[in-house]
Amino acid sequence: MNHRRQAVRGLAAALAALVALTAAGCSSKAKTGDGKVTGAGGVKTGEGVTDKTIALGALTDMTGVYATLGKSVTQAQQLYVKQVNAAGGICGRQLELTVRDHGYDPQKALAAYTELEPKVVGYTQFIGSPFVAAVKSRVDGQDKGLVLPQAWSASLLGSPYIRVLGATYDVETINAVDFLVTEKGLKKGDKLGHVYFEGDYGENALAGSKHAAGKAGLTVVEQKIKPTDNDMSAQVAALKQAGVKAVVISAGPRQAASLVGVAAATGLRVPVVGNNSAFAPQLLGTQAGPALEKMYWFASPSLPIGADTPTAKKLVADYQAAYPGDGLDNGIVAGWTAASVFGEALKKACADKDLTREGVDKALLTMKAHDAGFGMTHDLGDPEAPSSRESVIIQPDKSVPGGMRTVRQPFVSEAAKSYTP
Amino acid sequence: MSETLTRPVVRGRALVYGWSAAGLLLAALPFYLDRFWLQAGLFAMAAALGAIGINLLTGATGQLSMGHAFFLAVGAYGYCAFAGDGSDGLAGLGLPGWLAAVLAVALAGLAGGVFSPIAGRLRGAYLGIATLALIFIGQHVLFNAHDVTGGYNGRAVPPLSLFGLTFDDTELLVAQVPFGAVEKLWYLGLVLLVGGVLFARGVLRGRPGRAMNAIRDHRIAAGVMGIPVARYRAAVFVLSSMYAGLAGVLLALVFQRTVPEYFGMALSLEYLAMIVIGGLGSVAGAVAGGVFVSLLPQLLTRYSDALPLVSAPGTGGIAPGEAARYLYGAAVVAVVLFLPGGLVRLAARTRKTPTSDRPSGEAR
Repeated sequence: MNHRRQAVRGLAAALAALVALTAAGCSSKAKTGDGKVTGAGGVKTGEGVTDKTIALGALTDMTGVYATLGKSVTQAQQLYVKQVNAAGGICGRQLELTVRDHGYDPQKALAAYTELEPKVVGYTQFIGSPFVAAVKSRVDGQDKGLVLPQAWSASLLGSPYIRVLGATYDVETINAVDFLVTEKGLKKGDKLGHVYFEGDYGENALAGSKHAAGKAGLTVVEQKIKPTDNDMSAQVAALKQAGVKAVVISAGPRQAASLVGVAAATGLRVPVVGNNSAFAPQLLGTQAGPALEKMYWFASPSLPIGADTPTAKKLVADYQAAYPGDGLDNGIVAGWTAASVFGEALKKACADKDLTREGVDKALLTMKAHDAGFGMTHDLGDPEAPSSRESVIIQPDKSVPGGMRTVRQPFVSEAAKSYTP
Repeated sequence: MSETLTRPVVRGRALVYGWSAAGLLLAALPFYLDRFWLQAGLFAMAAALGAIGINLLTGATGQLSMGHAFFLAVGAYGYCAFAGDGSDGLAGLGLPGWLAAVLAVALAGLAGGVFSPIAGRLRGAYLGIATLALIFIGQHVLFNAHDVTGGYNGRAVPPLSLFGLTFDDTELLVAQVPFGAVEKLWYLGLVLLVGGVLFARGVLRGRPGRAMNAIRDHRIAAGVMGIPVARYRAAVFVLSSMYAGLAGVLLALVFQRTVPEYFGMALSLEYLAMIVIGGLGSVAGAVAGGVFVSLLPQLLTRYSDALPLVSAPGTGGIAPGEAARYLYGAAVVAVVLFLPGGLVRLAARTRKTPTSDRPSGEAR
């Protein structure tokens, strides 16, 4: 076994050489300073920022369950970056948006986050609240880059770096129930049906409807469903038997269409309101279309894509010019809003001469009344609260662009004002 | 070591040098590679461990299992439940990390043991369908047993600590290189993988391996020869589950959060793809397949900008995620057509010495 001893000796020598090499700084990973330098224009820069570019990341889902949302959000953000760059960029630097598609796969999502983390200032988009939760400790502990998730669950609140834009599902549901009470004649003692997805979206919304029901003296009849359930006949039958006077649905567009269609066909003619994820304009072309226009409303954290504001009109025109053939939906608004919030924070950070991650985080906290042009002002000063408690109520309508008509302008119900998750 | 006696000493020496060089290279990587690569490597190690487990069961003993993801979940969530201290509002026993890891692997084995009466009765596609049920039951529990699993968003994984070293992101300077969670876990992963490989080789090359192959090739003949078929099949099921549990623990430590979505049917199918691509019935095949299948999508996503035909997300065309899936399919078809023995056959073919002197437990 002589050769073995030789091998062991060789191994030891090589290991010693290796440690000596890295100690001498041959590894690019070896620690040298804190990576912060003062670049062009006297601006302090850190990860992701050079004298010419500001790198941003987008972790999206274009091949998984949220493919439609991911596509709209990403294209809107790419459009924003293109327009900002055409106008000269921010701080004399061009924006660079690197998109990674994780297909709603945790392993790929984490890999993409890790890959982009050393290269970007922050993320304008991160789809999938479980994955955001997975990186939360890293973001809070060491990375400290700004992350704007495309999810509205209250469980994501509380981090100074992960910021939810717009009303969370619970607040939105409270506002939706308020709409039912004040405008659809729901009164004390009535029963309110709530069909919701298992998981944090549905359960967060349920917390909201229970709070609102408690305030308004209603009783909630719960119907929990899975994202794979597409036929709502059983739920409609159960709600009908319970004698509900209105229904809230916190599910996907398909479930909402099925619920409204089956309810109309079986004679359960009560108002139905959904959360912002429970509608897609494509539904108007289906058999459930006429019923949806008659008895369906949904709450949204911003005005719809077809809204009558200058920003919305310009966005629709630009988007259609850039992506002809792609439909208009509220993912575009959400993506645009997030990108514009990030852009605004960068501009403020530039004015403070600090484009490091800490600088951007600090700049964001000073944005107390940001208006992305969709009728909402976002207050980003408090990490514990959603940036806005306002909702708008939208009715499906074939005759307007995007298929959505605003029936109630941005409002916060009394119950939502006092609500703390 | 009968090999070194029969073969020339020179070859033995070359082998030892080769292995030490490979070992040295792997040990040096955390000093140079950035976090993305180390994380990808850790995913590959975990996949390799899990693939060894399912290869013992499906490849060596011929029992089709679709429920491998379930046992991974048992390992991952078991670790969280044993190690969690309950501060996040979820049930946790607050045990030290190493003990929790050992108990989680034991728990996965126990889950396999509980299922083994069914595994002992069913064969082939029927067993596949029965194990499929495990996934659906498992995911239902993961989504709904809030107090233990944290529901839809999963639960945070408490970091492992061993001999005073905590495998978390607190920075540890080793020769000027900052060591975070992945750098530390890299060595743990290597140790676990080497241990797992050696143990599985021992099993396959020895008496149990021959018995398992006999059961796979002809169950009745194996029984006639005096192999306790039912007992062996139950034992292999338990062992395979324990490997899956270990892979689950390692995955959980890398993810730093358990996500129920992950432990679905797609994951089980991925593990089956790994052993088919790598090579049924051999440990090297499982490792090769595990590394191949878990690295491919990550590499494609990372280099999507540079690959022809694959377009950047958002510009239309084939997305990297889809391209990885096509390549998978193509790889499985190509392997079945041209390399029925899997990737390991490729290595065996290029090697000059005949492999027929190996015991049948290792090479099929």
